Amino acid sequence: MRAFLVLLAIAAMPTALSGQRRWEQQVQSRLARAVVAVSTSSRLPVVKRSGMLNTDERASFQTTLVQGVPYAIIAVCDDDCSRLQLTLLSASGSEIAKERDSESLPTLHFTPEATAAYGIRVVMEGCRWNPCWYAVAVVPLGRNPP
Amino acid sequence: MASLKRWALVGLGACFALALAYLPPRGAKPSGRESLFLAQSPRGTPARHRAQAVADEWRAADGSLRLLRARRQLKAWVRDASVGTSLVVVSESAGVWIAAPPVADSATRVAWRQLGLGETKVRVAVIIQLATSFAARDRPLPDEGSAAYLAPDSTDRTTCIAVVSLARYWTRFFADDPRDLVRVPLDVLVQSLKAGLGPCAFYAAYGTPGKSVRGWLVSRGWDLALTLDAGARGRQYNSLIEMVDPSYPLYWEAVYSLPPTAVACLASRPDGCRAAVLAGASDDPAISFPDILPIDRRWGRVPRLVEGQRFLGDVARAVGRDRFLSFWTSALPVDTALAAALKRPVGEWTADWQRDFVRPIRLGPAPPLGGLVIALAIAALAVAVVAITAARRQVR
Repeated sequence: MRAFLVLLAIAAMPTALSGQRRWEQQVQSRLARAVVAVSTSSRLPVVKRSGMLNTDERASFQTTLVQGVPYAIIAVCDDDCSRLQLTLLSASGSEIAKERDSESLPTLHFTPEATAAYGIRVVMEGCRWNPCWYAVAVVPLGRNPP
Repeated sequence: MASLKRWALVGLGACFALALAYLPPRGAKPSGRESLFLAQSPRGTPARHRAQAVADEWRAADGSLRLLRARRQLKAWVRDASVGTSLVVVSESAGVWIAAPPVADSATRVAWRQLGLGETKVRVAVIIQLATSFAARDRPLPDEGSAAYLAPDSTDRTTCIAVVSLARYWTRFFADDPRDLVRVPLDVLVQSLKAGLGPCAFYAAYGTPGKSVRGWLVSRGWDLALTLDAGARGRQYNSLIEMVDPSYPLYWEAVYSLPPTAVACLASRPDGCRAAVLAGASDDPAISFPDILPIDRRWGRVPRLVEGQRFLGDVARAVGRDRFLSFWTSALPVDTALAAALKRPVGEWTADWQRDFVRPIRLGPAPPLGGLVIALAIAALAVAVVAITAARRQVR
């Protein structure tokens, strides 16, 4: 009977937030630290994207980069991710730069020669507990646009 | 001539006896008595088989529709799920969604904790289907021995839905009328729900499998990963083969209803075990969308391997979480990844594992001792008769 009452008490416990936020918060706080670390003074906004991927899956998005402004493109992922690949693509889809050696914190630096829409592709190359959460930030550095 | 007639009569009589034994009766009314010949079991007519096949198709289509509808409806329930857990429990009766009965909800949460699950990357929504007291006449009766699962996919990567039918047996414990309430055997209910979580428990514990492992499991209906934690070996029997003594014909009927690879594995042949485990593995696995898994959970069903439903759960326990995760998410072919996790050839490990449940059987031409003695006695008698006849032979 006591066990039964304990079980009923467990069932009646108040509900709060959903699970899985742990990993989402983990990557968001990592990304925030990484953005602070590159210390931007630009007035241009920081573009952020996040999501989750299984091993060998990829996600892409487009963002406009302004001519002459140096950018840092940073990607982070959760504790279970062992390797994340970050690629910068031109509007036509050809690869401009690729970072795959820094495991779970790939970073690209790029200064566009023309204002245009560029693609950013993230590939989850290693995730030991699928899916793995990731987040990407496109951070304008230093100078303001001409 | 008289001798020839006698032999002809004996031959005809033997043929009649054989026909009586082996030919099925046609158009005869059942006598109500047990058959003289034990090997003959009653079978349905072709029309009945056809009706059952149509009913099964209807149930599968209806189950898929319910799962897809459930995914949409569950979003609100999932948002409100408790912090620190990734489990949502709801109940459904006659198409109406209600909060799960407190006992069923608690038992599911106890099952979740007993499986060592807490906050997981893939959350699980359990829909407990309660049996209704009335039967609709325009559709087949629900199949109480089946369960259905909707695996995470590109539209929702982090939710696995399990529809667990509690059937009439369990539903009566949750009756609204207090006069109908019966004391709940909670341990048994928890065990039943633990098993009911099925593939969703694996998704919760180890996340979404890699493409090769997922394709392998989908192609064989997840038969090797139906129970994450089936408890100690030998405490629960899941087939006749484990329960019945080999001296009974029932045992051999059950053995020879298995696929040849499973029989070879029962005989501790590593090649057979390997083939039974790796059936369905391919270099280019196909996974349907949506990934709906209808699973027949009836007792005694052995699709490919005796106690196969606990195989991957036992592998996980034997090799530890890290090695199992390496296998689970590996991009390598299944046989390579599994052998690497086990640190042994798959066939050898499986043959040892199979021996824990069933004493190995002997296959091949091995006559029983009694038959051998009788055959030798007959042969000796024949030789003796010939020898005696030859000794008494006189040439006139």
